[in-house]
Amino acid sequence: MTNEPVDVLIIGAGASGAAIAWSLLETRMRILCLEQGDHLPDDAFASRRADYELARYSDFSCDPNVRRQPQDYPINVEDSCIAPVNWNGVGGSTINFLGHWPRMKPSDFRARSLDGVAEDWPIDYATLEPFFQVNDRNTGVSGLGGNPAYPDYEPELPPIPMGRLGRRLAQGFNELGWHWWPSDVAILSRDHDGRQKCVNAGTCDLGCAAGAKGGTNFTYWPMLERAGVELRTRSRVREILVDPATGLATGVLYHGADGQLHRQQAEMVILACNGIGTPRLLLNSTSAEFPDGLANRSGQVGRNLMFHPLTGVSGVFDEPMHGHEGPMACSILSQEFYESDPSRGFLRGYGLHSGRSTTPMTFALGGYGIDKPIPWGAAHRRMMDEVYPNIASLTVVAEDLPEEQNRVTLDPDLTDGDGIPAPRVHYRLGENTRAMLKHGEARAAELLTAAGAARILSKGDGDGVWWRAGWHQLGTCRMGVDPQRSVVNEWGRSHDVKNLFIVDGSIFVTAGAVNPTSTIQALALYVGDRIKANIATLFD
Amino acid sequence: MNDMLNLVLNCLIPAQPSRSVPGGGEVGVEEFLGNASAFDPDPQQVVATIMTAVAQLAPEFAGLSDTRREQALAWVETEMPDIFARFLRLVYIGYYGQPALRPLFGVGAHPVHPGGYAVQPEDAATIDSLTAPVRRRGRIYRDHGGDHDE
Repeated sequence: MTNEPVDVLIIGAGASGAAIAWSLLETRMRILCLEQGDHLPDDAFASRRADYELARYSDFSCDPNVRRQPQDYPINVEDSCIAPVNWNGVGGSTINFLGHWPRMKPSDFRARSLDGVAEDWPIDYATLEPFFQVNDRNTGVSGLGGNPAYPDYEPELPPIPMGRLGRRLAQGFNELGWHWWPSDVAILSRDHDGRQKCVNAGTCDLGCAAGAKGGTNFTYWPMLERAGVELRTRSRVREILVDPATGLATGVLYHGADGQLHRQQAEMVILACNGIGTPRLLLNSTSAEFPDGLANRSGQVGRNLMFHPLTGVSGVFDEPMHGHEGPMACSILSQEFYESDPSRGFLRGYGLHSGRSTTPMTFALGGYGIDKPIPWGAAHRRMMDEVYPNIASLTVVAEDLPEEQNRVTLDPDLTDGDGIPAPRVHYRLGENTRAMLKHGEARAAELLTAAGAARILSKGDGDGVWWRAGWHQLGTCRMGVDPQRSVVNEWGRSHDVKNLFIVDGSIFVTAGAVNPTSTIQALALYVGDRIKANIATLFD
Repeated sequence: MNDMLNLVLNCLIPAQPSRSVPGGGEVGVEEFLGNASAFDPDPQQVVATIMTAVAQLAPEFAGLSDTRREQALAWVETEMPDIFARFLRLVYIGYYGQPALRPLFGVGAHPVHPGGYAVQPEDAATIDSLTAPVRRRGRIYRDHGGDHDE
């Protein structure tokens, strides 16, 4: 390891960091990626152990505040109704994401123009479309072409099995005349590109030991390392440095695997730390020029945090649903209620995603639709014997709207293992979101009943959002053409620091109501393309 | 102490003899509770607090019927909901964390990698038939101009 200057320094080896590194390969620039976590070796996957369920509640928890591994940073969630979840390591949260791969839709980029809420993006679906295609090819995507809810495109691989659960729900949707479609998934339905197809393990959240799920640990990073991109693991960036004379970023200070503080110089710095890690690092990078945090002259860094608030409803059917067999979250999805219809009492919309019942422990501790431990005593026996085997579920995935008070700040006391101030999340549900979730719960129950469920289970506590559901962390450094109202421009470059780019979900302007990784990576590839196209005048 | 703890565990997770499903106190959960620091900041204190409460609130617990035992534990839960929730969580983890029990609930005992589960994909005709009504209805998305055809 040397600390010689590099051309491109990428911070974070997750979805977006890997994608933009791939995009920039052809420039022949020297690329270094600093990642605070490590590789996940094959024998470390919990799903290779018989007691794999235990890992979900300890060292493989999706919640860093539970996991508490050396590479994790704590997140203060005292002022939030949703706990952010993630993975820190090579692959980032694509290690434990569920591989659901819907794209954002054309109307998602025009929420202000079409519906009078939020902001329009400075780019549109058509701009990203070619990058969706490239990213799908690099990732390996299974699905079914011809979905009437999207402009036409064709996933490369056939859909994964819907299973009894998916077929039963599909029949219910058809009964009601509602839209549904087999899910696009970053999960291989057949062997592809040297990777093994999905074995239906049902433990996507514990990392895919088969390599069938399109985490960047299996897709981009093997290509990148073979091509000479340097990936420096167990390297946690403390601060981005700026030259006061030029106003340009000069590199970073980071804590290395040797426990020492290092200085790494770079011509260009690219942030890819997700919607909480990126504003945290910018807010921790203060100087005389940027007393409120780097690239924060607008005051927008950390603001407009959007999740996808989730709730779930389960139906109890008259036959076993084998819910533990197959990808955890992916079978079919409905976008019947995705586009705005003001008569529903809210703007924008939500998706209904099929969900499986997972394993006995996960169900007992608060599986689908319940979000709290199931009853004990005689009622416990009935739940495990009569309900657990026979449930199929729907997740309501609601679009969040950007609100300035929903934000990431720095905690005045809490720090990570290197003493770097930790993020604090301030988040509450907006009224539009509440109305949307309520509508979605009712429609999910209606669908499950139409599909033949004899009994409906839901969280049912009035504010029914799942707690540990902050998978999608968006909007905290949003893009835009107005430097007063956005952090980066229409191609991801900081308005304030001309050689600083952001490519993760923090630059989203709106959230849509779909899992965002497909769009995050398409966006990263688009920013990479713009960097290459503007290379001669990049820092002007 | 262990006998009483196992009675409590059997009350929380009752056996189902007709399907050979053991009760919570029959499969070593009490040993797990003594070594569960990966799942709770202080599991031993949790167990001790609950068992002390049971002894105080229902000193005759061992001699009670199943129904009365449930009532006694419900009383403990009401008196100390937070610690009872931690206790129940540990009990569920200790019980369902045992791979050998999973087949009783229809789930394999094996590590799910590399074997996983065999799930047959739907054939093209089935998918075509299922999606036909959705395709017949036509486009349902809006483009930039706001079209929303049905």
